[in-house]
Amino acid sequence: MKFERLIAATLLIASAGAAGAAPNAQAILAASDAIRNPGKPFALSVTLVEYRNAKQTDSNTLSVYSKADADSGQFRSLIRFVAPARDANKLMLKNGNDLWFFDPSSKASIRLSPQQRLLGQAANGDVVTVNLAKDYQAQVAAEESVLDGDRQNRRCYKLALAAMSADVTYHHIEMWLDTSSSRPVKARFYTESGQLLKTAYYRRYQPQLGVERPTETVIIDGLDPNWVTVMRFSDYAWREVPEVWLQRDYLPRFKPE
Amino acid sequence: MRVLLLLLLAATAPALAADEDAAALLLADKTSTTAGQSGDWRVYAETAVRESRRQGAGIALHGARASIDARFDKTFAPGWRAVVADRLDLNRMDGVSGNRDINTLKEAYLSWQAEPDRIVDLGRINARNGVAFGYNPTDYFRAGALRSVVSLDPASLRENRLGSAMLRGQALWNGGSLTALYSPRLADQSSDNVFSPDLGATNQRARWQLGLSEKLSAALSPQWLLSGGAGQSPQLGLNLTALANAATVVYFEWSGGRAASLAAQALKRPGDAAFRSRLSAGLTYTTPNNVSLTAEYQYNGAGLDEAGWNALRRGPPAAYGLYRGLVTNIQELPTRDHVFVYLVWQDALVKHLDLTAMVRYDAADHSRLQWLEARYHWTRVDIALQTQLNTGQPGSNYGALPDRRVWQAVLRYFF
Repeated sequence: MKFERLIAATLLIASAGAAGAAPNAQAILAASDAIRNPGKPFALSVTLVEYRNAKQTDSNTLSVYSKADADSGQFRSLIRFVAPARDANKLMLKNGNDLWFFDPSSKASIRLSPQQRLLGQAANGDVVTVNLAKDYQAQVAAEESVLDGDRQNRRCYKLALAAMSADVTYHHIEMWLDTSSSRPVKARFYTESGQLLKTAYYRRYQPQLGVERPTETVIIDGLDPNWVTVMRFSDYAWREVPEVWLQRDYLPRFKPE
Repeated sequence: MRVLLLLLLAATAPALAADEDAAALLLADKTSTTAGQSGDWRVYAETAVRESRRQGAGIALHGARASIDARFDKTFAPGWRAVVADRLDLNRMDGVSGNRDINTLKEAYLSWQAEPDRIVDLGRINARNGVAFGYNPTDYFRAGALRSVVSLDPASLRENRLGSAMLRGQALWNGGSLTALYSPRLADQSSDNVFSPDLGATNQRARWQLGLSEKLSAALSPQWLLSGGAGQSPQLGLNLTALANAATVVYFEWSGGRAASLAAQALKRPGDAAFRSRLSAGLTYTTPNNVSLTAEYQYNGAGLDEAGWNALRRGPPAAYGLYRGLVTNIQELPTRDHVFVYLVWQDALVKHLDLTAMVRYDAADHSRLQWLEARYHWTRVDIALQTQLNTGQPGSNYGALPDRRVWQAVLRYFF
């Protein structure tokens, strides 16, 4: 993992340093992944607030424990529902497309398909950490100024991301990354037929676990722009996530202090 | 003119999108969040009123229920965890002599995690197996576990039941686990006393179980089970799930071993032990708007075939009653082949409204159980309206249930 990030950083520096050379899209994407995602196992809280027609319709709080897979580099996550009370202590395990839901009341471990959503607008893949550079092939489509999440003009690389396998949440993505810092600014997520599924803005950058990271993602539905979900990330902490946690049989055991 | 309109539309579309994005970001600016906290307790109170009509167009009977359901789960020292889950149902029902109040001590156990991957549990534990939805042949500890049935929704039947007293150990490794448990004989008879822990319902005989899970590939992680006990041959079980595509999960659950037929067990007939299989196989498909449809085929090789079932229905009522009493108590299917369909539609047309529908079909007598629930929830309050229709000939699996039609309204409050 460290080695891969080193390569990504080296490529990025090399691409920036070579005057006139086309920037390396994959390296920029990997650098932006490293801004969104801590490089060691960690825990954080996610609060999702959902709006329909400017009225708040839902609120959920989750605790997320994530660890990257040594082989694939992709994150595996355990998600514990914290609030509302109805859902407290229910769990979701995401290991690639291996998705399990566990309810401590009924002791039922139910396998989910990626299309099954537990959290309204947010796909299960949205609430957990994803290294996009592992799943998508990136190309620089343009260099342009866009309005960022704070309505400021920001010079960005517009990357076109194409899924490298069929089993990822989105078929293709347009992503705008700050040319100077590789910070993710904005993204649009599409279906195979080209239909816009959602737009996301990455904002509220704060120092978390040693890096300035976006602590808020604003998701706007592609079909109904009045359907908005605000995801806020807090309580970042380095947290050892033992391998034995990341399997179905551990779900009934999961009880973090 | 049309071209002009299209050009105009194309030119204004980004501006419109920018406006919409700006509005969404403004909303996010105003959002205040406080990360919720979950405590060691989960408690809810529930009240329900019901109206039922007996088979054969009987008069309407009315009933009411008040329940409190609590679950406590606390790590009280490093590596030590205590779990208690209890439910009290206070029932008032027309046409029923006496009032049936029932406390269900679902779980009460201590757990010691000596190492992150070595765990021992002792107490009453709801040890539940099975990946299927409507019939779980590998759920070996379901026999006698239902003390108070408040809903026929499989999710409710799984939750509102008695665990068995047992000692359980589990070792975990990367991608797998081994579980062994022993549940001793502790009592002879089930008890109707309101606050009885009713160990006689779950611990009438000694039983054991071994479970092994091992990840074979990223997509395949089967679970093997071996279960046995006093007066029975060991039964082998298998649970398997796979992802057919991004929207479909397929599952397979099987149990097999030497066993007497249910008829021989119920009617104390001479042993007819033979190798018998039980299985559930199905799939859950989720539509893009989050409607999940589960279709499941169920087979019980120890149940009666069509001819045997028809003969039992036409025979002495006492034998029929004994047979039905046994299959109800051990949560088995009375006949061989069944079809189960279960549909869940979250946020059905309006946000927070969930629709759940279920059909159980008995292929031996073509009787059906149909159940429908509409549930609306706020942050702490749920209201639900449920209806159930049991159809079939007299004496058929579902046609013989006492009620033909049941309506129930439920109000639940989470503390």
